[in-house]
Formats: sequence, C-alpha cells, structure tokens
Amino acid sequence: MRVRTSIAISLARAGFAVIAASVVASAASAAEFDWKKFQGKTVTFLANNNPVSQALLTHKADFEKLTGITLKVDGYQEQQMRQRLVTVMNAHSDEVDVFMTLPSREGQQFAAAGWYAELASMTKGEVAADYDGAGLSQALVKAGTFDGKLTSMPMNLEGPILYYRTDIFKKCGLEPPATIADVEAAAKKLKACDSGVTPFVSRGLKPALPYTFSNMLHNIGGSYIANGKSNLCSPQGKEALETYSRLLRDYGPPGVVNYSFYQISALYRSGRAAMAFESSNELRTVMEGGERLKDTALIAFPAGKAGQVPTAIGWGMAVSAYSKQPDAAWYFVQWATSPAVQKMMAVQGIAPPRSSVASDPEYRKWIDEEPVRQQWQAALDVLAAKGSSEVGYPIVANPESREFIGQAVQDLILNQKPVDQACADADKGLDALIAQK
Amino acid sequence: MTGAPMDDNWIRRLNTLQLIVAGVIIMAPVVWMALSSFKPSFEVTAYPPTLLFSPTAENYAQLFKTTPFFSYGVNSLIVTLGSAGLGLLFGIPAAFAVSWTRISWPAILTLAARMAPGTLFLLPWYVMFRQVGMIGSYTALILSHAVITLPIVIWVLLPSFDNIPRSVFEAAQVDGCSVTRILWRIALPLVGSGIAVAAILAFVFSWNYFLFALVLSNGDSKTLIAAAFNFVGEGSTQWGVLMAAATLIALPPLVLAALVQRWLVSGLTLGAVKG
Amino acid sequence: MSGTADTLTPDRQRLELGALSAPAVLFTVGMIAFPLLYTIWLSFQSFSSTGRQSFAGLANYTRLVGDNEFWHGLWVTLALYVLSLVLQLVFGVWLALVLFHAKRLPGVVRSLFISPFMMPPVVAGMMWLVILDPSLGAANYILTSFGLPPSDWLASPSWVIPTVALIDTWQWTPYVALIVLGGLQSLPPSVYEAAQIDGASGFKTFQRITLPLLLPTIVTATILRSVDLLRFFDIIYITTQGGPGNASNTLNIYGFRVGFEFFNIGYASALMLTLTAIVFGVVLAFNRLRGAVAW
Repeated sequence: MRVRTSIAISLARAGFAVIAASVVASAASAAEFDWKKFQGKTVTFLANNNPVSQALLTHKADFEKLTGITLKVDGYQEQQMRQRLVTVMNAHSDEVDVFMTLPSREGQQFAAAGWYAELASMTKGEVAADYDGAGLSQALVKAGTFDGKLTSMPMNLEGPILYYRTDIFKKCGLEPPATIADVEAAAKKLKACDSGVTPFVSRGLKPALPYTFSNMLHNIGGSYIANGKSNLCSPQGKEALETYSRLLRDYGPPGVVNYSFYQISALYRSGRAAMAFESSNELRTVMEGGERLKDTALIAFPAGKAGQVPTAIGWGMAVSAYSKQPDAAWYFVQWATSPAVQKMMAVQGIAPPRSSVASDPEYRKWIDEEPVRQQWQAALDVLAAKGSSEVGYPIVANPESREFIGQAVQDLILNQKPVDQACADADKGLDALIAQK
Repeated sequence: MTGAPMDDNWIRRLNTLQLIVAGVIIMAPVVWMALSSFKPSFEVTAYPPTLLFSPTAENYAQLFKTTPFFSYGVNSLIVTLGSAGLGLLFGIPAAFAVSWTRISWPAILTLAARMAPGTLFLLPWYVMFRQVGMIGSYTALILSHAVITLPIVIWVLLPSFDNIPRSVFEAAQVDGCSVTRILWRIALPLVGSGIAVAAILAFVFSWNYFLFALVLSNGDSKTLIAAAFNFVGEGSTQWGVLMAAATLIALPPLVLAALVQRWLVSGLTLGAVKG
Repeated sequence: MSGTADTLTPDRQRLELGALSAPAVLFTVGMIAFPLLYTIWLSFQSFSSTGRQSFAGLANYTRLVGDNEFWHGLWVTLALYVLSLVLQLVFGVWLALVLFHAKRLPGVVRSLFISPFMMPPVVAGMMWLVILDPSLGAANYILTSFGLPPSDWLASPSWVIPTVALIDTWQWTPYVALIVLGGLQSLPPSVYEAAQIDGASGFKTFQRITLPLLLPTIVTATILRSVDLLRFFDIIYITTQGGPGNASNTLNIYGFRVGFEFFNIGYASALMLTLTAIVFGVVLAFNRLRGAVAW
C-alpha cells in the first residue's frame, strides 16, 4: 500500500542516513585513500553474463590500470553462474572474491547462509572521495541489507514495464492505459478489434511469473505476508490472482503457461502482441531489427487501487565472506559502483541506480536520441521513485516461495482450481515456509 | 528360391523411401538450426517461419568477437580426446574380461556413475579436486568426463565381444596364447564396428557435457559448450548467435562420425573368421 | 558356446582377466566412492536456513515417502521413461535396418542421419522451444497449413509428457540406431546365406533370425538409454522448468531444485539417492535379460 511504502522509504532514508553520513565522514579522510594500495594482487570476479556485467567489463582495463590489481573474470549464464556459486560457497572456498547477486531473490537466503561479507564497514573505511554512497538508490541499498548487514552495492536498476503498440491502440481507438482496469478493458477491445494480434502477454512460466505478478499485487494493495502469515487469500490477494490469470487466460497467447522473457520478447518484437509486460532489460532484444522502434510506448505498469508500486530490483556486487582478500575485492566493488563507471555503463544501455547519473547531461543526450529510450527512462524513473523490491516472499526461502505463487496463478490460468482453493493451497505451503527457521 | 529381381527392386525402392522419410524428419530441425545461424536473431523467431532469406555472417562475426571460441575449442578438444581415450583404454580390456567371464559386476559398477544425477558429484568433486589444487586443470576435467565415457565404451563393446564364438578363444588357448594376447591379436580386430560406435559415442558425450566443467574448470580451461549458454538469458538472448555457436559446436563430432564411418560399414566382421 | 569357457580357465587366466578389468574398476571406485558416501551422509542430515547442520536420522526419507511431489515426480519420470524408451527402441531398430541396407550411402550423409544427438542439449531445448511455440513455431504452422488444429505442445498439462518424449525420440533414436547398426555389422553373414537358401522373405528373416541375434545389442541400447531417460533433465529444464504446474517435473528436476534453489541439501541428497536406487534396480533387471538373450 502507498502508506506502507512511504513509511518504508522513510525508514530506509533514516536508516541509511547513518551509512551515508559515515560515507561522507570518511570522504573527509579521503586524502589518505590510495587506489594503488593493493597493486599486484589478483581479484577473482564471478560474473553473470548479462548486459550489466558485459557493459561493466568493457572497462575492465580501466580498473586494472587505476589500481594495478589483476582482475580475473569468470563469466557464466545466470543459472549456470548460480550453480557454480552455490557449489563454491557450499565448499567455503576462497576461489571467488567478488560475485554478482540478485538480492530480491537470493539475498536473504545467501545472507542467512553467511556467504556475504559485510560491506557497511568497508564503506566507512577505505572509500574514494567521489564514491557518493548516499547517491545510490536508497531503496536498492535497503533491498541489499538483511538483518542490518549491508551485503551488496547496487549495479543497475531494472523492473517489469509495460510495452504497448501505439499504432494498434490508435487503430482501435484506445487511450494509453492509466489503471489496471484500463488494461483489461483495452485487452477486451483489442481482442474484438484486431484478431491477428495477442492483446496481452506476460510471464506464465511458474518460477518466472512472480516477477511480474508481484507488481500487480502491490498495485492492487496486496501484500504477501500479513501478521506473520501468508496473505494470498486476502481480498487484494485474490483480486491480484484473478486479474493476472484472467488477463493471461483470456487475452494472452496460447501456451502462455510456458512463457518467459524469450517468448514474450519474440512475440512482441514480431508484432504479434499489442501489450507486453516484461523486464526493462528486454528493451534491446525487443528493438532488434528496428521494427518496433517507432510504434512502441513504455510505461510503468498502470495503477491499481494502491497506486503504482512497481517492482524495482537490481543486480548487486557482493564480496564473498570466504574471500582471503576482502579489502582488495572491495576496491573492485566500489570502482564498479562508482558514479563515473555507472555513467559509462548508462550510455551503454544499463539503467543506473543513481539519480545523479540518470540526470547527467551526457546520459540524457543518449536517451534523447530515440523517443523509445526517453519513454524507457521515464518508466524507470517511476520505478526508482516508487519501486518495491519485493518479488516473492521476504523470507529466506524466497526462491521456494515463488513456486507456490506460480502454482496458484497457473491453477487459475489453466482453470484447474477456483481462486479460493488456489490461494488456500498456496497459503498452506507458504505458511510452512514462513515458519521455517 | 530367392525372390525374383522385381521383388528385390521393390524392396530397394521401399528402403529408399523409408530412408528419405527418416532423413527429412531427422535432419529438418538440424538444417533449420544451421540455416538460422545465417539469419539475424529477430528473424529466427519470426512468424511465419521464413524459408527464403538473405543470409548474413553477422552471427558468426559476433560469436568470434565475444567468445574466445578457438581457445575454448582447444580446451574442449583436449578434454574430450583425453576422456574418450581414457575411456577406450580402460574400457576395452574391461569389456573383454566381463564378456569372457560373464561376471557382470564390473560393468554395472562403472555404470553406477551414470545412475546418479550428475549434480550429485558437483560439490564432492569440487572439494576433492580443490584439496589437491586441481581446479581448472585439464586433468580434473578429463578424469570427470572419463567417468561418463567409460561405461559407454564398456557397454557398447560387451555385445560385440559376446558375439565372438567361444571356439575362437578356445582354439587360441590351446595354442598357448595369454588372455591379453587373445584380446589384442584376435578379439580386437573383430570388434571394429563396436569400437567405432564406442569412439563416436564417447566423443559426443564428453564433448557436449557441461555440468562438470561448470565447477571444475576456471576461465582458462573453460570448454566450448559453456559458450553456447552465453546467448540465452534475460536481456541477452541472441537466437542467431546461439544457432551459430550450435552449428560450430556440432561440427567436430560430425566430422569424427564421418571419418569413423568406414569401420562401421567395412567388412571387419565375423565373416572374416568363418571356418 | 556357453559356460564351458569358465571351467576351462585356469587360475592364471583368471588373474589376467581380473587385471584387465582392474583399471576400470579402480578408476570408477576412486572417482565415485567419496561423492556417493558423502551424499549418503548428507541425506541423514538436516540443514537449517542458516546452514546449521544436525543429524536427522531417517527424517529426510520419511519426508520423501510422504511427499506428494516425490510420488508425482516418480510417475512423471516413469511415464516419460516408458514412452520414450519404447519409441526409441522401435524407431531405432527400424532406422538401423534402413541404414544397414543403404550400403551405398555416402559417409557424410550417414553421419548426418545420426547428428541429432550431437546437438548440445541447451541448443536442442531452445530450438524446440521455438519450433513448438504455439504462436511462433513452425510446428503449428505446418499443422494449420494441413488444416489440422494447432496444439499447445509443451504448454499443455496433458500433452507435455508425450511432447517431451517426442523431442527426446527425435534426438536419441539415431543414437539407438547407431548402437544397433554396430550390432548388425557383426552378425555373421553365413546366417543370412543360410536363410536365403531356405527362401525366407525379408520380414521373416528379420523376425526369425535378425531380431533374436540383435537382442544383445538392443538390450545394451536399452540399458544405456534407461540410465539417461530415468534422469531426464536438460530439455525439461530449458523448456518448461517442470511445468505447466508440475506436469513435467521429473525426479531429477525436483531433486535439483530442492538442492540448488531451495538449499535443502539433506532432502535433495535423499531424493538423488532414491533416484539412483531406482535406476540401479532397472539396470539390474535388464542386465539379467542380457544374460538370458546372449548367444
């Protein structure tokens, strides 16, 4: 709910004024800060081979020249990288110094397992003068903090946004949707107006759909947990479940229960979908070939009864708790998340988690080159301002909780259960997860 | 009396027809993959599927630009040849012994590694090889992949060795041949087609196996198959480049298979032992 | 031609034979002993979310017996296994015969026939994901061109298992064919000559003579396919992730997610060991068959 979010944001602001203050304080002693302190050392970075790290690593030589540290990069696709990380960490190995992490998914899980090195003290200690720790999105910093421990520094900002076809909307006499009800009404009209196009497409694949579903749940004013118990059977929870599944069942493509970003982007890009609710990261993929460049608009998902509470997450750089050289590793982390580097990444298409970079004139110039980029950034500004990082349950067993959420939605899409039973079955399993210690 | 020439012709035509049907079904997706490697990514998922298109080498260019394809390829080759070789080295004698004595447990034991999910070995092997500082070495990869190739070699060769009439061995024993000599001089030449099949399969399985390389290799010894995964992911799905990577990755096994075909269809069979 | 070989073997020969299989045995034991024992030990532990470990006795196994997901996973695994195995054996033998009789086929073309299983699993998965997509794929395009109704393929809870079986059959039938082809090569031609003199027709020759002689090779192919099919993972992980719902959630997928995504290492170990035991049982059963059909 809007009230809760703003309280959360105020708490975040208060809580991290402390960190910000300490960063500023240490900046005063930055005269002692020496980039070359760990010259000659080797830092190993386990990277997820996505556009974020790819953009970062194009500047790898800059880092090595600046610090004299040799950077060894081990890059894998996301799922593989996670498998490798889990194995290395389970073995308490010092092989990895720095790794990329997704706090919204695994943050609490990894933190409980003790895999992250504590970073707040490092931000107080050896920090470059221009690091501007307070300039990082406080919401994302908070999302990376568990039990008072700062576990990662944000690298980028991303979240699901609504891509829609302005030309098809115009053809069918539709205004851009401002509320969830508008989305559904538009979908209904589109179905009648243009039969060759899928009105609405979003994630239906069980482990993938909580990413987009959470956004709708929050917009409607629902919450995953209330009074320590799973809350999917609340009126808002049920409304979210029904609305999301109805949009996909009645207005989505056949086989939507298998749909994740591969198919959604392919469907929208080929012109066969009028509205696609998918990650902001998929912009480049969607625009490939240039067909959708001029007829696409992007907005944060339209408001529900609780307004717009878009899902806003980001990858983070973390230092391994088992690293033998956390200080040198920290140098890489702070370089990678510094304003200068994030500005370079921004003009490579990586939405920055810093408002200072987002309003930087060079970046704005890049944004202004294409109307679709302007819209993309505008949508991301909404995410930055109002976003929530809650994808799935805010518990240690977050990945497992997504199974139950996904199952409930799929039960409804496939018409296998009435909504009351679907949410009850999910709540039962989720209560057991919440109770796990 | 045997069938009239007309029957033979009819049978041959029927066989050719079956061959064509099988060929189309089997090769159509493979051809699709190879053709798609010359399409820009957005066209791979275009609908209706395009048969005619203007080919581009952009995918291959992108592949070589972003991936140290050649060095990964060398890594894969070393690991695969090493593990296939090790599998043949240990597997051929073992298959022979199991076949002769009809005692199966060694063969079943080697298969045990294939009965457990591969992920079962990840953490223990990582710990094991880390203890001896072998993470990232070719040895670790070759040894772990040999666990895959060994049972394949043994089980493919078992029926081949079983097919050799015992009388052949008995005759050699009467002549005073040692067991090893019998294997080397007599049995081995008779199982040429079996060895060809075993070699192809050992190569392919080791070549395409990515799970162990995930934890046992590091940046320097990464294998080619890991490269294929780089093109599937949020924000980075490049269908065209994926198909290009796939086409290139599938080439070495195909080349090997084409080379080894000879032993598969040659006359190195029991026919030579008649009488 | 049977057991007399054993009684003729003097001790010296027995020693030599043991030495021949020793490297394979020692190597395997050296590599898998620690992982297996470690996993067994893990299966008797329970792990709290903070990584605290405690001895749990048989708790993981009792949980397994009462876990609906496990039994459902077992059903999915077996259904997929039986369906795929039957299809692959039938088509594999057929393809081997077709290739065997096409003696003048150039080697390159022949190797293309066996190419599907040379495709990396991730690529095969992604490829079929596109081809079978109900909106974007060639499969429905072809169906609708012939006036047939389109299918949801992998997205249909009832058809996902047969669809996955079809994908696997496309990919691995050539593998079975290759193994059987190797067996066909080693059949003594003298047998065929005798059959021809007797005037046996093509199919009868196959039924009465070829098939029984091929049985040992077919049993080998069955055993080799079985160990892989029962641990079905790659295609499902890439295309449906066990879905829709859990309609394609094989035991291997389930165990993987419990261990690597939900971090329940103790329970995952119990699941993996149970799966291993099931595969072991199947292999033993078929091995007995191998002894029965040997000539």
